[in-house]
Amino acid sequence: MLKILSMKKNEDAAAKKKPKTSAAQIRVQKDLTELDLPPTMKTHFPDATNLLNFTLTITPDEGMYQGGAFNFSFNINSNYPHEPPKVKCLQTIYHPNVDLEGNVCLNILREDWKPVLNLNSVMVGLQYLFLEPNADDPLNKEAAEELRKNREQFLYNVKSSMRGANIKGVHYDKVLEH
Amino acid sequence: MASVSVNVDGLANSEDWEGRYFHVDQILDRPGPRTDPSFLAGDKVKDFLRNKCKILVIGAGGLGCEILANLALTGFKDIHVIDMDTIDISNLNRQFLFRPADVGKPKAIVAAEYVMKRVRGVKVTPYFGKIQDKDVDYYMQFNLVICGLDSVEARRWINATLVNLVDTENPESLKPLIDGGTEGFKGQARVVLPTITSCYECSLDMLNKPTAFPICTIANTPRLPEHCIEWASVLEWPRIHGEKKLDTDDPEHITWLYAAAAARAKEFNIEGVTYSLTHGVVKSIIPAIASTNAIIAASCCNEAFKIATSSAAYLNNYFMLIGTEGIYSYTFEHEKRKDCPVCGGELLEISISHETTVEQLIEMLTERQTIQIKKPSLTTSTKHIYLQGPPQLEQATRPNLEKKVSELVEEGDPVNVTASTLPFTLELVIKYT
Amino acid sequence: MASQDIESATTALQVQPDNKARRYDRQLRLWAATGQSALESSRVLVLSGSATSTSILKNLVLPGIGHFTILDHATTSHADAGNNFFLEGFESVGKPRASEAVRLLRELNDSVDGHADTRHLRSVIESDPDWLASFTVVIAHNLDSQILVKLSSLLWEHPSHPTLIVVRSAGFLAEFFIQVHEHTIIESHSETLPSLRIDKPFPALKEHALSLDLASMDPTEHSHIPYVVILVRVLEDWKKSHGGNPPKTYSERQEFKKSVLALKVKPDEENFDEAEAQAYRCWTETTVPPGIASLFDDPAISPEALRESPSSFFHLLAALKKFTEQSETHTLPLTSTLPDMKADTANYIHLQKLYKTRAEEEKHAFKSHLRAPVDDATINLFVKNAHALHVIRGARWDTLDHTSLANALTENPKAACLHLSLSALSAVREQSPGSPISAEALRKQVRTVVGDEVELPECLDDFVGEIVRAPSAELQTTAAFLGGMVAQETIKIITKQYVPVRGYCTIDLIETWTAVIGS
Repeated sequence: MLKILSMKKNEDAAAKKKPKTSAAQIRVQKDLTELDLPPTMKTHFPDATNLLNFTLTITPDEGMYQGGAFNFSFNINSNYPHEPPKVKCLQTIYHPNVDLEGNVCLNILREDWKPVLNLNSVMVGLQYLFLEPNADDPLNKEAAEELRKNREQFLYNVKSSMRGANIKGVHYDKVLEH
Repeated sequence: MASVSVNVDGLANSEDWEGRYFHVDQILDRPGPRTDPSFLAGDKVKDFLRNKCKILVIGAGGLGCEILANLALTGFKDIHVIDMDTIDISNLNRQFLFRPADVGKPKAIVAAEYVMKRVRGVKVTPYFGKIQDKDVDYYMQFNLVICGLDSVEARRWINATLVNLVDTENPESLKPLIDGGTEGFKGQARVVLPTITSCYECSLDMLNKPTAFPICTIANTPRLPEHCIEWASVLEWPRIHGEKKLDTDDPEHITWLYAAAAARAKEFNIEGVTYSLTHGVVKSIIPAIASTNAIIAASCCNEAFKIATSSAAYLNNYFMLIGTEGIYSYTFEHEKRKDCPVCGGELLEISISHETTVEQLIEMLTERQTIQIKKPSLTTSTKHIYLQGPPQLEQATRPNLEKKVSELVEEGDPVNVTASTLPFTLELVIKYT
Repeated sequence: MASQDIESATTALQVQPDNKARRYDRQLRLWAATGQSALESSRVLVLSGSATSTSILKNLVLPGIGHFTILDHATTSHADAGNNFFLEGFESVGKPRASEAVRLLRELNDSVDGHADTRHLRSVIESDPDWLASFTVVIAHNLDSQILVKLSSLLWEHPSHPTLIVVRSAGFLAEFFIQVHEHTIIESHSETLPSLRIDKPFPALKEHALSLDLASMDPTEHSHIPYVVILVRVLEDWKKSHGGNPPKTYSERQEFKKSVLALKVKPDEENFDEAEAQAYRCWTETTVPPGIASLFDDPAISPEALRESPSSFFHLLAALKKFTEQSETHTLPLTSTLPDMKADTANYIHLQKLYKTRAEEEKHAFKSHLRAPVDDATINLFVKNAHALHVIRGARWDTLDHTSLANALTENPKAACLHLSLSALSAVREQSPGSPISAEALRKQVRTVVGDEVELPECLDDFVGEIVRAPSAELQTTAAFLGGMVAQETIKIITKQYVPVRGYCTIDLIETWTAVIGS
């Protein structure tokens, strides 16, 4: 056998070995403890011992969505950061880039994800969607159409949707911050 | 020639016949010009290879079948194999230990039986299950590990497990890991000496990232047949089927996706959605052929043989092959990454009294000149000791600051330290005085 | 689409692949049905039932060649039984090696026909050369030099004779050489993409690009113009103010890129970013790629040669040459494959249609130059791959000539020494059969081959020494490695897809490298 290994046995060495933390787990610890979030974003851990599943609440303090509180679930698997976190919006909201199932169109959550990015980048990206909704590459086509064609009406729809209203047959959840 | 005795069941026993090792013994009986002086030519090395060496093969698929057959004929006699999969008809174009009648059976078990039947005297012990089912003691029993996997996740797991196994006090704890992978006419083989050379995690950024299309393209502006297929699997399947999980091995599910994608493609005037493409996209199928697997598996086993016997130098440490245009290969030393979250990072042994509090420990760490650490967060594999953020978790762990470290951490239990000032992770090993 | 519609559509479709398509799925994704049918009609002859030979065959039987024969008069020895997976260990000892191996290899794939032939190769060469010539590929492992010379000459006699692959190995060292006649490749699976001809836009594309009213366009529409259209437009505008020329100097090119970005109406228009990144296409002139241009000088497309030639490839090549001479742009026929780019469906599909229509027209023009009947499927493949065609004219198997050797010794001394050592082993064996191989004898033989003038690198002793250590060792791992390599090249030869290696492919499994010399 390769000479870096000696032939002699050391039987109790195995017993001494303790389970170690996975690379994904340590990376999440690093990402989370070093989050640098503005007061408009807060994380919530339903189980404080589990860093891999939590929610993020965004309460925009400017822009069209000011006054709302938007909840996103974060699910991180053991292949992080090779794979991006899975993020979904937990409410039905009226937003060009979020569909009614809660899918979010944010490039770094899919095609532009790379391991050098971190949870902070994802959260900042999500907040940006509320400041600058993008009507050109929409997920909610009706909302995008409205934003393009009639900004006033769109604004009105956003406000009423946030109070929990029906718009074109779709019921939107009440998301007002208290 | 030695006698070949026959058991009652008619099988020849494991006794070797004269000349059985005619070929490989030419290598084992004398050194070559490039052989390391530590090589013990003759009986000693043969005895180790054939009677003592225990080797683990992870994966009994395209690479695994080849690896098992090669190891058996090379003279390894105590081989273990783990695989969680069952045999599918699409495996038969390359996984040569399986026949049509084996479809549906566990790969590890069928492969082990086949090799034992063909190469007498070799013991192949199968395990039909996940590598994660096995604990540290299980992995400790092997001298070498060869991996023929197609999953990044499983590779990261075994790599981290073997790196973490290394105990500098115990040379036996260092298990060379030989890893192979193929895709079409391309492949690679590498040797990882955990903690000593670059590990799998060190080279994670060399991997091609999985193709993903923007979700808004899938939802609204499809251009390619792939966009229609992703629409069917990512958006339409959960919308229609709710919680029912998509099974990419179920032909009925694939057919449903194909029909949905084809209808969407028609609506958008997009050409090229086929059953085969649908299957390929949703299952992320990688083309695979017998010949490439043979090359890479042979290379892995060759390294295992050289490392186990010291009969020749071994690969340092990465062999890459591209066979699409002529034969291009590149052998190079992949460098260890200092900030690798698995094998990089630093280990710090620290002695504290049973009475030391967590707050005092943190203070000790931040005062250490050598590590330049600010605002460290500390965890063990099972609990959070103190986290600097987010606020909820800081609050939850704040009461620990006043507790004694000895109440929270057993001696020898590794503590993970992260901090924004540390580019790598720091592992603390605490000794109580 | 409602779910019940999908369900009913599903039941209406008889789409699931049959067992054969499922079995071969992972390889059909590489070489498709055309490659598979070429494999299925091929006949492979392997000389000897050594571990290396059966390893090669295993990797050809699994993907489904039509037929294989093992020609081997040997009976299974104790040593054979110990290193060959396609012998049943001690139970095969004393039985004909060829029949044992064929029986076990055939178990791998019911649809492959296999045959064991226990005649002596020497007598077959003399008595039955036509039979040897009836195969697609002949593979010879560790054959004595003398008989190898005879075999290679026989198979070199006529261009229609099979390709010969000569394989040698000892211990950790190996090499192989492909003696191939003329070998033409349409589907090389090149990673180079054909030109989109942005610098020489076809009329409909130019017209489309110029018709766009960028200034008053709806902003959403604006952010979904494909980069191809943007570049054509900006380039045409540029040319108008620059005497008809594209940007030439570095500063002009920077200015051009700036003018692309200046068209953005919003900062996040990714299609304009893409156009900037692809701007080099505007000043990289689309011409016939050099590799293809050199094929146009090939003697096989002279009118005289074509009159005699049954090869559709050269008729197609001749038509391609004519097409490029007569096309206004002096380019290959336009590609119909548009890569993905930022755009909405309507814009993208419209552009795709423009390309498809034009490509169809150019294909039509190409066909008008064709002077022999060729089926449409082949024409389509040819036009699609026109930028990446290959013609290989191999050489007869032989030791490397002096110039090639001298080159190899300077460029890759290790590979050259490996090759010289293996050749020397074969020669020394022949000179004194049965006697032990000595380093002196091998070095002397190498010296004879290279001549007195040439300085030999020190590493020669490493290879010579390794051969003396294990002159007749056929290691399982070396056999398996070669098995994969040689099978892979055989598949390329049979399918005429991908590009086979030229020259000697040398393999050192101590340091684990491969290198090609004498190509």
